[in-house]
Amino acid sequence: MLTEAQGGEGLRQRLRSRFRAWVNRRIPPARVVTLDQRRIFIFPSRAGFFFGLCLLLMLTTAINYQNNMSYALTFLLATLFIIAILHTYANLSGLTIRALRAQSAFPGQQAEFDIQVSRRKRRAHFALYLQWPDSTEALINLVDEDQVEVRLHAPVGRRGWYNPGRLLLESTYPLGLLRCWSWIDLDLCALVYPQPLVSAELPGLASDRPDGAAIPIAGSDDFYGFRDYRRGDSLRQVHWKGLAKGQGLQSKQYAAYADRSVWLDWDMFPGHSVEQRLSHLCYWALEFERLNEEYGLRIPDVQIQPGSGEKHRNEVLKTLALYGLPERQL
Amino acid sequence: MKMLQQVPRNALAWIIISMFTLLAPHAGRIPVWIMLIYLFAALWRIQVYRGHWSFPGRWVKLVMIVSGFAGIYLSFGSLIGLEPTVALLLTAFALKLIELVSRKDAYVLIFLGYFVCITEFLFTQDLLMVLYSLLNVIIVTTALVALHQPGEHRFNRKTMRLAGVMVLQAMPLMLVLFFLFPRIGPLWTVPVKSHTAKTGMSDFMKPGDISKLSQSADVAFRVQFEGEIPVKSQLYWRGLVFSKLEEGAWSNLGYFDVPAKERRQQEVVTKGEPLNYSIIMEPTQQNWLFGLRYATPDRPGILAAPDFRLYSLVMIEDEFQYQVRSWPQAQLETELSDWRREVELRLPDNDNQRTRQFASTLRAQAGSDEAFVDAVLQHFNREPFVYTLQPPLLPDVDGMDVFMFDSRRGFCEHYAYAFTVMMRAAGIPARVVAGYQGGEINPVNKTVIVHQFDAHAWAEVWLPEEGWVRVDPTASVAPQRIEMGLEEAVAAEGTFLSDSPLSPLRYRSIRWINQLRLRYDALTYQWQSWVVGFDGQVQFQLLRDVFGEISAGRFAAALIGTWALVLLPVAISLLRRREIRPQRPLDREYLKVCERLANLGYPRQAGESAADYAARISRECPDWAESFNRLTGLYTELAYQTPVSAASEQQFHQALRQFRPRKGRER
Repeated sequence: MLTEAQGGEGLRQRLRSRFRAWVNRRIPPARVVTLDQRRIFIFPSRAGFFFGLCLLLMLTTAINYQNNMSYALTFLLATLFIIAILHTYANLSGLTIRALRAQSAFPGQQAEFDIQVSRRKRRAHFALYLQWPDSTEALINLVDEDQVEVRLHAPVGRRGWYNPGRLLLESTYPLGLLRCWSWIDLDLCALVYPQPLVSAELPGLASDRPDGAAIPIAGSDDFYGFRDYRRGDSLRQVHWKGLAKGQGLQSKQYAAYADRSVWLDWDMFPGHSVEQRLSHLCYWALEFERLNEEYGLRIPDVQIQPGSGEKHRNEVLKTLALYGLPERQL
Repeated sequence: MKMLQQVPRNALAWIIISMFTLLAPHAGRIPVWIMLIYLFAALWRIQVYRGHWSFPGRWVKLVMIVSGFAGIYLSFGSLIGLEPTVALLLTAFALKLIELVSRKDAYVLIFLGYFVCITEFLFTQDLLMVLYSLLNVIIVTTALVALHQPGEHRFNRKTMRLAGVMVLQAMPLMLVLFFLFPRIGPLWTVPVKSHTAKTGMSDFMKPGDISKLSQSADVAFRVQFEGEIPVKSQLYWRGLVFSKLEEGAWSNLGYFDVPAKERRQQEVVTKGEPLNYSIIMEPTQQNWLFGLRYATPDRPGILAAPDFRLYSLVMIEDEFQYQVRSWPQAQLETELSDWRREVELRLPDNDNQRTRQFASTLRAQAGSDEAFVDAVLQHFNREPFVYTLQPPLLPDVDGMDVFMFDSRRGFCEHYAYAFTVMMRAAGIPARVVAGYQGGEINPVNKTVIVHQFDAHAWAEVWLPEEGWVRVDPTASVAPQRIEMGLEEAVAAEGTFLSDSPLSPLRYRSIRWINQLRLRYDALTYQWQSWVVGFDGQVQFQLLRDVFGEISAGRFAAALIGTWALVLLPVAISLLRRREIRPQRPLDREYLKVCERLANLGYPRQAGESAADYAARISRECPDWAESFNRLTGLYTELAYQTPVSAASEQQFHQALRQFRPRKGRER
């Protein structure tokens, strides 16, 4: 029993992968896809099969009552179905789907995917249904406008490039009796950053100054608290007065250091796994960005000079996200 | 797929419209309360849409369904039969509307709508009804199209266009299929029309019945003669032969009234030229057919009864076409069997004694049977008998005595009745024949239209050597009835079609109305002979004429060939639409340049702005950089500048002329 079930599963898997390979050959990934007969599939929908059943019922009525007009109506509806094949096909044919952009996201979040659907010919397209396997859905018409932008959201998983898979573009317009669809690989990937992992403080803060000292600028930065002294804390930070009062060795903490540039270093987190290191680094990059401080990144093979701002942040996060992953195939 | 399940408002509107247009033709044959359900259902659904009411709960639905069934059972007395079935279907259609929530429900409703369309044809295949049903199909299809147009939040008339176009495109394909699809016999017996009233001549006749029938302007049947149409006064369409007189009413002999050896028609020696004609009868829900004497049927399923009438084995539920050959001069039943003589002489005891007495006296005076017949006709002619559409009611007992000696006002059946009683009283076998007399000749297509008001009753007497001879006592009272028709016969009375003021027949004096009526009637005949007559036999004949030999290969070739002929143009018109071109000449010029560059291997990327493109071209082909940048700059300036200055436009065109990228000049 078990082996049989497994065999069935295996067969299904094999068939599925064969099908996927076939679709890949037939509709190769591309940023811009125009739908033509190679890319459009058409088959009766569930309603279409139901309609067929109704037609059979009508035909038996016509036969049993020997009623010529009933025959005529049955045949009219049957041929309407044939005509609908052309109309349904024409509703997808000639549409161009263009990958616009994909918003980066953190694991567990929803990534935004923007695509554009446009037409080349003057014909109204209705009820175009778009969805990636896991994404939200969209239903659009192209009636007065020649192009429509669609935003879909999909939950992302691990860090790296998230490929939402093949986009399903489907329509049953105008009669709903036939389903016309295409599976398009838009070659649109969202970048997934490492999951930020909070660490209480930054051990062995690496500064770009050789002595490793950070200089607080009096007046502009706020002192915000104490914490237990750790090895590596600058002696300037030590709360001497507290020590004198017998409170133990404590370091002063400052909210921000205006001119200070920090190196986020791979070696700051010894003993952690690669993913944990990346997660911690990611957290601190975000933290420094939030505090509006400059920071650089130093991980094996990559070094990013300190800086701040959204562009910098994205570069850093992207480097972290793609660390150790194979180059994305384009 | 929640998004796809929504029913747009436009679709809802079209579904409600289709509901009522589908209901309309059925209105006459369903109880009024079903129509009220329709109004109620539409109101409920609209109120749900507007958010005032909510969808019915499960119990409410159950109660509605059960009471629907109960109501139909109470209204029709049963649930079996075509009418109750259709009523059930219509009720279900209305109730389904109330719970129309998702697209799935809409599919059920719409497909049900198509089915309601077909049920209408089971009652009538009238040309106007067929055209109306075609409109219905388009409306239902419109609802189906509207269902797949999300975001149509208001009623849109234009949705109908696509549905209409699609139905029209399907039409030729349908015709091919209609002619090619093999016709086979019924697969099983189906519920018949149990509640449609029997129309036309009945097999039971009391004085007053035919005058009642003569109030109707409906068509009974239409006849097309192969040769000349005989004169009107010879057109006696025999339908029923009444040999049995009981309790003041005539009826024909039932199958079991006739002994087994008498059930076969006697051999007839045909004489003279036959008349060939075909008749299309309107449905009567009865079995008898009409024909001139001596009528012989052309096909199995039609019996020739021993009293020389035609009888269909199946009830005439739809228009029915049959071919007849008649020998008007043939002598019928020259040898009368004892049983037959006895039957055709039988009179109820102690009934109409005065009339019988009168007949015996008259017979004794006359000397021969022929002279006696003449004498009776003379009597009707000479005495002040009145031919009227409004005869007084006669008592069941001694009715003829009252008619003969007191009221003396009667319609054809009174005269035929009295005449036959007198013949039988005098020992001459006689019987009443009922059917139609005359008819209207349609000059458009030379058909004879026989209306219900042409209903007539006359008598047949049996004379030795001659057999059954037709005698029409009405001709002695009102000769214009036989020669001209009922309208002229009762002109003085003014009672012709007095109950149907809207019948176009009443306006025959208005030329164009009459022309229109006759043209439409000719069209109806054409339609009926085509639609009704098209059965397996006709199909076989037609296909053999067209294809020569009938084989599966030729069938398939014909089907594929004709379909391709229709489908290809449709496909081409659908897929070869006009491309959307930029409207401004400026954009067109610019895009032409881009195309030229693309041909040289530097296509503009999708989504690349003009400036980005120029920058890239400058990087990749520095040779063109200067002129192309200038051109792009001018283009963007013109594209976004209002108003456009003539100077920049001139410069742009100059830049266009100057920019001549060539392969050799790269790098």
